[in-house]
Amino acid sequence: MPARHITQGLDRTTRPVQAEVDARPRPRTVGPITQTDIVRFAGAGGDFNPLHHDLGFAASAGFQRPIAMGQLTAGLLAGWLTDWCGVENLLRFEVRFTAPLTIGDVVELSGVVTSVEELKDGFGVATVELTAARGKDLLVTGRASVVVETG
Amino acid sequence: MNSTASGAGTSLIGRVVDTARFDVERGKIREFAHATGAADLVHTDPREAQARGHPDVLATATHVVVSGHYRDQRAVVAALGLDLRRIVVGSTAWEYARPLRAGDTLSGTRRVAGDEIRVGRRGGTMRLVTLETEYVDSDGAVAVRQFEVLIERGTA
Repeated sequence: MPARHITQGLDRTTRPVQAEVDARPRPRTVGPITQTDIVRFAGAGGDFNPLHHDLGFAASAGFQRPIAMGQLTAGLLAGWLTDWCGVENLLRFEVRFTAPLTIGDVVELSGVVTSVEELKDGFGVATVELTAARGKDLLVTGRASVVVETG
Repeated sequence: MNSTASGAGTSLIGRVVDTARFDVERGKIREFAHATGAADLVHTDPREAQARGHPDVLATATHVVVSGHYRDQRAVVAALGLDLRRIVVGSTAWEYARPLRAGDTLSGTRRVAGDEIRVGRRGGTMRLVTLETEYVDSDGAVAVRQFEVLIERGTA
């Protein structure tokens, strides 16, 4: 189900990115994550759970140091994705939280186009499988539906 | 993990848990973009946004997360009968009818869309509560729909 702005907006100034199956946008590496990064996201998003900034509280919850909000990892993944495809071409974005991002972590954001459904006039909807990973550990897996050019 | 039965809280389905009403602002879009490494100038430069056919800068994909500033998460968790210490967010999904932009006024009403008990592989139980939020603009049209699944681990 393409969204309203997509079906009506095929003559937009900025055209969607070209993509085909197996396309891989260039991965982005972020980090090492600092307490400041987490605090900045707390202020931006409004999540002031002390688990994310209070060392003593985090310790009482069983963490050696504060952990980041899942939504920080999700936001990093979304930001990387839309820097590639344009936020106006995003139809759906879904994330599953697997493990927490922690201070000191270096996270790699990557993805691959797994299918492209033709719409019309050389446009299609690509499914992109996404991961945010710390080395071999998956922190977040995700999936997006993105309007792309197929021609 | 197998789904076994719907939870005891089936009666919660459809219940409104809270409503957040807020303006989508240039400054907040900028803060959120910087905090998440979103570098596209469409989020921070009105000229770039206009060149791409938008009346003002566009919000980042997960911008509605900022509604956290307008909600009382602890009160919601308590109203759902959940224990904050045992909760994690399992997944979140957003469906976009259009991109959000500075100048939008949104009203986001969260409802319980699902509530079930599952048995894990090791025999412990967990409760999964799905919350659906419709973010409606000042014209009454849904701009973004969000689904979040809260997981409460069992005490066993």
